[in-house]
Amino acid sequence: MPLPIVKISNLDKYFGRLHVLKDVSLEVPERQVLCLIGRSGSGKSTLLRCINFLEEPSHGIIEVDGIKVPADTKGKERRQLIHDVRLKTGMVFQEFNLFPHMTVLENVIEGPVTVKGMEKDKAIALAEQNLDSVGMLFKKDEYPMRLSGGQKQRVAIARALTMEPRVMLFDEPTSALDPELIGEVLNVMKKVANEGMTMIVVTHEMGFAREVADRVLVMSEGQLIEDATPTELFNNPKDDRTKALIDRYRSGEA
Amino acid sequence: MASTTDTGKAPSSHVELLFQAQIRKARQFRINVGISWAVLLFLLIFLFSGKNIQIGSFTFETIQLDSEFMVKNASFIAQGLSQTLLISFLSIFLAMMLALLAALGRLSTFPPLYAISTFYVSLIRGTPLYLQIFFFFLALPQLGIVLPGIVAGVMALGLNYGAYMSETFRAGLSSVGRGQREAAMALGMTPGQTMRRVILPQALRFAIPPMGNDFISMTKDSALVSATGFVHEVMWRATKVGRAQFNNLEALIMAAVFYWVMTLVLTFFQGRLEARLSKGDK
Repeated sequence: MPLPIVKISNLDKYFGRLHVLKDVSLEVPERQVLCLIGRSGSGKSTLLRCINFLEEPSHGIIEVDGIKVPADTKGKERRQLIHDVRLKTGMVFQEFNLFPHMTVLENVIEGPVTVKGMEKDKAIALAEQNLDSVGMLFKKDEYPMRLSGGQKQRVAIARALTMEPRVMLFDEPTSALDPELIGEVLNVMKKVANEGMTMIVVTHEMGFAREVADRVLVMSEGQLIEDATPTELFNNPKDDRTKALIDRYRSGEA
Repeated sequence: MASTTDTGKAPSSHVELLFQAQIRKARQFRINVGISWAVLLFLLIFLFSGKNIQIGSFTFETIQLDSEFMVKNASFIAQGLSQTLLISFLSIFLAMMLALLAALGRLSTFPPLYAISTFYVSLIRGTPLYLQIFFFFLALPQLGIVLPGIVAGVMALGLNYGAYMSETFRAGLSSVGRGQREAAMALGMTPGQTMRRVILPQALRFAIPPMGNDFISMTKDSALVSATGFVHEVMWRATKVGRAQFNNLEALIMAAVFYWVMTLVLTFFQGRLEARLSKGDK
């Protein structure tokens, strides 16, 4: 068993009085493609966002590639640790969140140049390589406004990859897309997975989970209720709530 | 354009006709507005022409201006334009700095910064600009602080406009979605980098058109500085020569023309700027 890239221990998260994550523990080994599914409000996005501290965990420990951040770390040390964790993680958002005032290429080199202090030439070479691999190099001088949703999301994936992260976090990457544009994004994600990237994907795309994931986690009311391979999960779901999810997916497919 | 080749010729030409009619209508409207403006301008000039019109037994008298006075003093008043523009440019620059700081303070979670920002905006917006200008010219000297006229004027106008413009900046900063900040943070940017590289450029683009409007109104509010008698801008010069020779009517009309023309020119450039900025949005 390879060492876990992401290790979450006894994570709790409250929004005010609302208990959205309840004592969640999870280990994600290197090169694993993990899909997090569950109904909306189940806490799956919050769990993902706790990994790179876009949400502050209330209790528990987040560990990414050996960098351990207990929730009660404070001040300067905490800021440094969170910064280190963010350098190890790449994130893709539901709403793409490309920078509208920068061209595609500028979007992709922004992280390496500003954050890592990489030389511009080197960053551009790396960015162009990644844009090529998501099939967006031909739009490198366009502004995001002129791209379709699927194209924006592919650029966003290239932007995250160009930071050379150890793990990629996808937060419902196809939920804001028109149905006919979902395929191109899923194909790029498949490609990234095939290149050996560790991926944690919050998604409603059961098809993607079944086809690409090594492991599927089901969340409900802030807890992980099922942890299985896609085959096990789709053929033999254990929990009733998982069965309901799978049935809904099956009926949608039929 | 209606280039619907697949729907056949008839509907296409129909669409084309409607489209042409729409363009014609818009053009006609612009022409009519232009003509009406010309008529109004002509009437206004005629009102001050000194000519009398006899309609039957009724005589319509227009106002006679002292053209000799106007010719003699036009350049004296016009020389104030450079001062007016100088005050306006310096003041808008100061105002922008203050507005940005106040807006950042207003969005800060650090209580003293938030307090300083809201205190400043409340104090300035709660008192008249006229009073603030006199405060810098008349009240400060009592404390032994004597500022050169232009410095005092710029400080008063800058402080005042900064308070109002901070709202524009704040709106600009809040117009940048939360996702932008999150994307920057996820890349590992520090809060400072996020502000400089991601938030501010977008906020400024949002705030520049209204700031252009503020600048244009500042060129006119700079006239208030004349009341103190220390800055020789357009208004000061107009009142000076007007009072001296009891030709206030002519002097003020000339000043008004200068302000109006200046505003028209600035509005033209502001329109161009706005068009250019909105182009980047598409």
